[in-house]
Order: sequence, then structure tokens, then C-alpha cells
Amino acid sequence: MSQAQKRILMAKTGLDGHWRGPTIVARALRDAGFEVIMIGMANTDDIVSAAVDEDVDLVGLNIGGHIDVAKRAIAQVQATRPELPIFAGGTIPPHAAKDLEALGVEVYPPGSQLSDIVDAAERLTGRK
Amino acid sequence: MAEKSPPKAAFAASGIELKTFYTESDIPKAHRARMNLAPGDAPYQRGFHPAGYRSKPWRIFQLSGFGKPEDENERIKFLLKNGETGFIMEHDRNTADHCYNVDHPDVVARREDVGLTGAVMQSVRDTAICMDGLPIDTSFGHAGGAVVQHAPFALAAYWTVAKQRGFDLAKIAGTGQSDFNLTYLGCVTKEQIPTQAGLRFNADIIEFCDQYLPRWVPVSIAGYNAADTGLTPDQELGVLFANAVEYLDEIKRRGNIDVRSAAKACGGVSFRASIQIIEEACKMRAARLMWSDLLRQRYDITDPKIANLRIHCVTAGSKMTYQQPLNNIVRGTLMALGAVFGGVQSLGVSGYDEALSIPSEHAHQMSVRIQQIIQEETGIAHVTDPLGGSYYIETLTAQLAEKAWQFFEEIQGQGGYLAALDSGWLHSKASDNQYKEFMDTESGEQKIIGVNCFRDDESPFHVDGFMGTDDAFDVATSRLQDVLRTRHETAAASALKQLEADCKGEVNIMPAMMQAMDAEVTLGEIGNVFRQVYGNWNTPIQT
Repeated sequence: MSQAQKRILMAKTGLDGHWRGPTIVARALRDAGFEVIMIGMANTDDIVSAAVDEDVDLVGLNIGGHIDVAKRAIAQVQATRPELPIFAGGTIPPHAAKDLEALGVEVYPPGSQLSDIVDAAERLTGRK
Repeated sequence: MAEKSPPKAAFAASGIELKTFYTESDIPKAHRARMNLAPGDAPYQRGFHPAGYRSKPWRIFQLSGFGKPEDENERIKFLLKNGETGFIMEHDRNTADHCYNVDHPDVVARREDVGLTGAVMQSVRDTAICMDGLPIDTSFGHAGGAVVQHAPFALAAYWTVAKQRGFDLAKIAGTGQSDFNLTYLGCVTKEQIPTQAGLRFNADIIEFCDQYLPRWVPVSIAGYNAADTGLTPDQELGVLFANAVEYLDEIKRRGNIDVRSAAKACGGVSFRASIQIIEEACKMRAARLMWSDLLRQRYDITDPKIANLRIHCVTAGSKMTYQQPLNNIVRGTLMALGAVFGGVQSLGVSGYDEALSIPSEHAHQMSVRIQQIIQEETGIAHVTDPLGGSYYIETLTAQLAEKAWQFFEEIQGQGGYLAALDSGWLHSKASDNQYKEFMDTESGEQKIIGVNCFRDDESPFHVDGFMGTDDAFDVATSRLQDVLRTRHETAAASALKQLEADCKGEVNIMPAMMQAMDAEVTLGEIGNVFRQVYGNWNTPIQT
């Protein structure tokens, strides 16, 4: 394969340590051939600097808390690397999902199919 | 006529293959002698008391809390008014789980998250607001402190407020959890004291309660947190008892109190009540049987008051779906039934909006109503161990216990429960199960109604997430400043110094914690002492 392996950054925006959601998603993405860089619970600055330093092709946010915290991270990523796509999962109530979608973020709430998440990663990183 | 195809293989969540029906010969021989005993007789798989729920109904005990301490207080009063018979004080995860004050940079960076999962309580003043007017003398209270490093603060604050109100600590009943499965397996915080320090904290709490709070459940091992992280029902049982022997062996090693009173203290546990409800009922029966066998064989304890396991149950949060959330009322009802058939003493039902947010007032009320309908209308509570004697139930109970003991031994083979947490062995077991469960749902092998089949994006029953209040951070910030400005600074400094000395030494830390509460030392200051003395747990998983 000539194409370089696509890289995905995964971070948790909150300080809630429940990990089953993001680790399942990471495993599915790795099985699909992506390189996944997990930085766990991260502040906005950490997310932005990792996105730049690791030269990732996609950012995945696990949101377990208030949407405004995620919005700050999203705004800063978009300000720093406007072309970088973002998708999000976690306990995101419907009203908050709408808010995120308006910012160009794809939302995969609980109950989403892993195959849909992998498809999104393929599409958003331009692998497909 | 074409012949019928043989039935498809079916399995319990524990991986035990299920027959299409059972007869007496399926029941393991060793179990047959036990199954004819009455409830209240050792080894207690049939229940805690011959009269069961007629002698004492199970406690309606709902997780609750958000926002400011007064918001949480109001919600708890709402639940009590609606018929809850115990109460639970949830603390804000950001501050509590990490022992941070709200001015910690990691909390400030997430100020909108503050108060979303529980009230912010940084000093005994905050806890006093949350406990205002609550029936702490007559109700079983949960002080919070689910995470190990937070438990000394949550408990000491609760007990200090109780004392300030004139209650006798020797008479109050409650718990605070301090659960290893949550702290080191299910909900791994950014910073946490190492497992050995956690073990010391829990032993300190057990010994302190033995002396001053005999009615308190000092630590409550939560199988729930292992199960909802991915462990199967047999593994949940195995891990819970592997955890229990770690505590009891430590108490024996320290030699300060009789291991029998520690066994009584550790015999108040919690399990997850999941959706395969027959298996879950069997799990509760197997748990009581295992505890009785364990105490007899390992510690030579046969006193029924000790060997009779007391079980709190919470329905499986992870089984609640985001899609078509009103279906979760049915799921909550079924899971609650499984727990009641298993004879548990205490129960919480997840809100129907569990997958979307913390419970709205309405979802909370519904969780209480589900329990009340089962308790008052169905007649299930009239007869103890209503499923006992069924070939299937007795077989599965015995099989679950056997499989759970195998997992218990596997954990011992890993060097014991603490070693299996430190190495990440338990995390990888949970992770593998999670992935398998997810793939079964993905393939449609396991149907989830409204999620991977019978989907309906046009549901007229709109449920949105409940987001609590938006002033928790600001109020907590100003209250923290107030405490720091108005407390007796010399007393606070001296109490902190004493705590640090006791943490470094070998004496029980709880007297110094109580002194710190009197001196209005704050949560973040205590956390700083813990971090400085014990350092940080080397997390075995990447999240």
C-alpha cells in the first residue's frame, strides 16, 4: 500500500474516567487499519497541541460532560487547523448533538454502530 | 413433513450454555442437599430471613445529585417525599474523584462540567448545606465517596455534620462505598493514590467504624462497577470476593480488630442487576452462598449475623439505550424484578434517560414508582425466594457459583486482586468482553430493541438530557474563597500537618480527617497531602 497510515487523535474532554466507550471505538479503528493516538482526559490546549504535534488526520472527542467544554476544544482545533475534521461520541443529549453538528462535528451517540464510526473515519480522513 | 431443525445454542451472559429445559438430574449433586433448606439457613442462597420482604421490604435507594449542594438537597427531599427509603449524596466527579478544589486548573478548564454529576462539596460547610433537614438519624444515608481517595473526606464531612447536629455517631447507619472496582477498574481518574495506599485507607475506615460507627457499612464492594465495565456475572462474583479477601486478610494482618467484625462490615455489597434477569436472580443467590462458604472455609466464621450477605443492587446503566428512551422504563422494571427475585435488600433503578444525561426529576420519580409497583401491587414480596426449587434456577445458581470460584482462583493466580488491578489483567478481561458484546450487537446476534432493530427515528416521545443548573462552578468558587477567608487558619494548618504526619506514619488517618473537618480544611488541600505522600497510581490502561 502506498498510502500512509491515517492517524486519529482520541481525547476525553471531561474528567470522568469511564473508559469503555472510547476504548471500544479505538479498538475498532485500529482493527480497520488506523493509527489511534489516545491522550485520555485532556484540556483544550493538550488536544490542540497533540493534533498539531502528531499531525493527525482526524480528531475524535469523547464527551461525557457539558457541551460547552467540548465546544471550546472544537473552536480551538478549528482555529488552529481549520481543515482537520472532528467527530464525537459519548453521553451527548439530542439538543447538544444538534449544536455540535452545527459546528461541522459528526456525532455518534450511544447505540451507534461501530461500522458507521469506521465508515465515517474512512470518509473524513479521505481514505475512501 | 420436514423435520424441525435443532434449536440454536443459547448462552447465559456468563457463558454457561443453557438447555431448552431442566430436570432434577441437572442439579449438581452437592447442591441438592442445600436447595431444600429454608431461607435464613446457611448457606443462605435462599435469602436473608424466612419471612423475607414481609419482615423487611427492600430499601428504595436511588443515586442522586447535581449542581450546588442545595440543588442536590432539594432533589433528595423530592425523592424521599416520593417514597425513597434511603438517600444517596453524589459528589461532583471533577472535584471529588480527584480531590481537587474548583480552582484547580483542570477543573477551571471544564467549569461547565462542574456539578453535572453531583454537588460540589469542598468543605464541611458545603456538606452541611447538602444534608440540611435530611433524616440522617432514621434513614440509611450514602455519604458519597465512591472513589477510594475521596472516601475519607466524604465520610468525615458527613459524620462531622451529623455530630454538629447533635446525632450520636454510634447510632447512625449508612455507607460511603470507597470501591476499588470503580476507582481502579471502571472509572480510572486522572490522578489517584496507588492501590496499596487505597487498601490502607479502607482498612483505616473499617477499623474507625468498628470503634465509633458500628452501624455504618464502612466500605461497600461494588460488583456493579466491575460488571458495567464488562465483566460477566460469574466474573463479577469472583472479583467481588477476591476484593473482599484482600480487605479481610489485611485486617487480620494489622491485628487491630477482630476479623469477624470486619467481615460483618464488608458483608454489605452491591451488584449489578442486568437484563438476563433469571441469571441475575441466580447470581444474587450464588453470592450469598459463596460468602457463607468463603467465611466458613477461610476465616472459620459461621455466625449467621455475619455470614449472611447484604446486597444492594443497581440496574445496569449500560443496558439503557439512547434510542427510544421510554423503552428503558420496561428495561428498568425487568432488571429490578431480577434483583427482587434474587432477594436483594436494597435497590436503585436507573433513570430512563440514563444514556442521555443524569436523571431528570421525572425519570427519577419513575425509578421510584417502578420499585413501589413491584413492592406493593404485584404480590411478589409475599413469598421469600419465589423461584427457589426450580430445576433451572438451582442448576444455574450452582453453576454460577462454581464458575465464579474458578475466576476467583484465576485472580489469585495473578497474585491476588490488587495485583490483577495493577497489572491491567482485569482491565483486559473487561475490555475483551466489552468488545465481544459490542460485536454481537453490531452483527445483530444480540438484538437491542430500538437500537439495532425496530428503529424509529420519528418517536413522538421526545426525551432530552437533563443538564442540571449552570451556576455550580461560580457558587463553589465563591464558597471556597469564603471558607479560606473566614476559617481559623492556625487550626487548619495544624490539622493539615497532623494529617500529613499520620499519612506518612502507621496510625489510622480517620481521627486526623475528623480534626481536619472541624478545622474546615478543604478537599483540595487534603488531596494535595495524599498526592505528596503517596504519589500517583500507575494506570495500566490507555484511555
